[in-house]
Amino acid sequence: MNLDDALKTFINESRELLEQMEEALLGIEQQPDDAELINGIFRAAHTIKGSAGLFGLEQIVAFTHVAESVLDRVRDSLLVIDAELVAILLASRDHIGSLIDHLAQGETPDAATHRQGSELTERLHRYLNQTPAAARAAMPVEHAQIPERETGRVADTDNWHISLRFGREVLRNGMDPLAFLRYLGTLGRIVRIVTLTDDIPALSELDAEGCWLGFEIVFSSEADKATIESAFDFVREDSHIRILPPRSRIAEYLRLIDALPNEDMRLGEILVRCGTLTPAELDSMLEMQRQGDATEHAPIGEVLVEQKVVQEPVVEAALVRQKQIKENRNAQNASIRVDSARLDQLINLVGELIIVGSSANLIARQIAHPALLEVTYNMTRMVEEVRDSAMSLRMVQIGATFSRFQRVVHDVAQELGKDIRLEISGGETELDKTVVEKITDPLTHLVRNAMDHGIESRAQRAANGKPEQGVLRLNAWHESGSIVIEVADDGGGLNTEKIRAKAIERGLIAADAGLSEHDIHQLIFAAGFSTADAVSNLSGRGVGMDVVRSNIESLRGSVELLSQAGAGTAVRIHLPLTLAIIDGFLVGVGRERYVIPLETVEECIQFSVTELNLASGEAGYMDLRGEVLPCVRLRDVFDVRHSSATRESIVVVRHGARRVGLVVNALYGELQAVIKPLGRLFEAAQGVGGFTILGDGEVTPVIDVARLIELSAGPLHSRAGGLPAAA
Amino acid sequence: MAKTIMIVDDSATLRQVVSIALKGAGYDVLEASDGKDALARLTGQKVHLVISDVNMPNMDGLTFVTEMKKLPAYKFTPVIMLTTEAGADKKAQGQAAGAKAWVVKPFQPAQMLAAVSKLVLP
Repeated sequence: MNLDDALKTFINESRELLEQMEEALLGIEQQPDDAELINGIFRAAHTIKGSAGLFGLEQIVAFTHVAESVLDRVRDSLLVIDAELVAILLASRDHIGSLIDHLAQGETPDAATHRQGSELTERLHRYLNQTPAAARAAMPVEHAQIPERETGRVADTDNWHISLRFGREVLRNGMDPLAFLRYLGTLGRIVRIVTLTDDIPALSELDAEGCWLGFEIVFSSEADKATIESAFDFVREDSHIRILPPRSRIAEYLRLIDALPNEDMRLGEILVRCGTLTPAELDSMLEMQRQGDATEHAPIGEVLVEQKVVQEPVVEAALVRQKQIKENRNAQNASIRVDSARLDQLINLVGELIIVGSSANLIARQIAHPALLEVTYNMTRMVEEVRDSAMSLRMVQIGATFSRFQRVVHDVAQELGKDIRLEISGGETELDKTVVEKITDPLTHLVRNAMDHGIESRAQRAANGKPEQGVLRLNAWHESGSIVIEVADDGGGLNTEKIRAKAIERGLIAADAGLSEHDIHQLIFAAGFSTADAVSNLSGRGVGMDVVRSNIESLRGSVELLSQAGAGTAVRIHLPLTLAIIDGFLVGVGRERYVIPLETVEECIQFSVTELNLASGEAGYMDLRGEVLPCVRLRDVFDVRHSSATRESIVVVRHGARRVGLVVNALYGELQAVIKPLGRLFEAAQGVGGFTILGDGEVTPVIDVARLIELSAGPLHSRAGGLPAAA
Repeated sequence: MAKTIMIVDDSATLRQVVSIALKGAGYDVLEASDGKDALARLTGQKVHLVISDVNMPNMDGLTFVTEMKKLPAYKFTPVIMLTTEAGADKKAQGQAAGAKAWVVKPFQPAQMLAAVSKLVLP
């Protein structure tokens, strides 16, 4: 390899020198006394001769030597340069050039070149006071040597080398080594074959039926390695066969290795893919590797080179490629740390983009130009994609947050003298980084509560026939456009009666309120429910629960409690996927418009006013395909006047397990809504999660569906009537 | 003197196709329809190569090769077994019986010729 590179350098360098020589020779006629020019010509010839010697290029050395000698005499002023000499030197220069050209093409100089060389040598010798005969005497040696050298080079570089050691049993198996060699002859030309008889033992010990022969074959063929190998298919298993590709193939293999796709591959695979190694060879080499010292396997690359199956440069190239592929792979998985403020800025800009985009959309619809509509439609789609990918930049897995609770659980369990195991699932669920940060506090609260008050003491668990070790579960999953985080324990569950008593005592519910068990459980989130003097098992369960609830609601989320006496309690936190931008559904009530988060919308039903007769401010019900659907008029909830529509629609929204029909006057369709938080002034506005700016610049409330469902159907429904009107 | 090859297979079509290919390449060809038939025909003949199917009536290929190798005249006669891709274990059995060469069915006549010429030249 290196020698070949050096040879290329030599060729290029020589060509440059020859060009300089030509220029100088053409100039010398005008300035015959210019010593520098003559020196230049001499140096060029001298350098070429020296370098050619390094490569053993005898023919170039011999010829250039004569020319150099003549030039030396000119330099020493022993010869006067004239037009004739210049002509001969130019011809000599051309001759060296053609010798170099032949070398570059890997050919042996042809007869015409030889003849030209001899003629020029003879003419140059005349200037050296030497008899041409003497010069001629040197020629045969020169010529005899060079071709042999050249063919030697060719044999080494452009032919396959096959080593064959037939197995002892080959003849007994009915195989004829000669038949294989003859068959090999059909695939190419056997340039040289050496029969090895070293293994044949003394006649007295000779097993005449055994095969003792080996062959070293220089083989010239265009066939690929697998084809050549196939010639020995039937004897491969019993014999020792090595096929080394010609050196000229190495470049081809290197090129193929470089062109391999970026897949994770083992070294053997790479070599097989580029064709320098056949699958059969790989198998036998791997077997050989296994049979080696069990404790330290030689790397397969070393085995391959050592066994002369693959040339070292090819193995090296394959290793480099393998490393490259790995690095590419790592580079592909690499991440960039970005200041979160920059991401926030990007999200803000995307938000603005969406608002501007919806303005453009609106105008396009007003103008109703088909081409413009199409462009804005495409733009909207692109903006949506930009929005989603910008949002995904902020997404982080909740797993890391969950893992932190291992320590909390361990410490608190020790503190309480309980044996509690934390089980984590759904750690790969992604949610907005801001949400993750803000959810940690409420989660810690819930986890501590569950361990302190949810999971019973060891003794009590044993008495209840439960395993002594309590289990706390943290789980997260996606559910219809929102994320649910669950903190569950396998403790005693809530005492429904005690909560009811407490709630009545606190004046949260009427003594005769007919509440379901589930509704009663939710009461522990009510502000003012928690007290320090709450009793026994329930004590402290309410501590901070209203804080937890308000924390989560500030993230536009909601919290729900599921409890089963004796089996445990689960607190489910529902969170929106993102905080900033949502897909919304625009509805109209009278002259007002509202945005409902699209992820909560299940379906829309058209019907006329007469079908549903809702008393103002009260919940009505309708039959939705056999199911009871509580309905609420947004007009009543938000106290909208001037509502004289004769046509109404119901938008069925779901939150968690609960569904409600929102009665509206008009359905305007989907839009992207950039949520702007409520100012302090509007904090009291219940059922509104924020505001958004529509394409026409109007500010529109975004409905907080979870809260609205609660307001309309929950125990606190009586308060709904007093909501302030929006906008 | 042309080398003689015996083709043992219960399919007359296969025998015919292989036979045409081999004769075209300058070999002499003998045909046998199963192992028993083949053993009977081998006596008194000089056969240089046997091509045998595995699954045949009367006597299967493996038994045939085992029996043939017991005959002093055919102890070293090469055998090409016709195997199917699925019958890898058959191939191993065939090798144990002394059939070191194989051709996977289905094959083109040229493939058979290549395999044959690796073992005996016409």
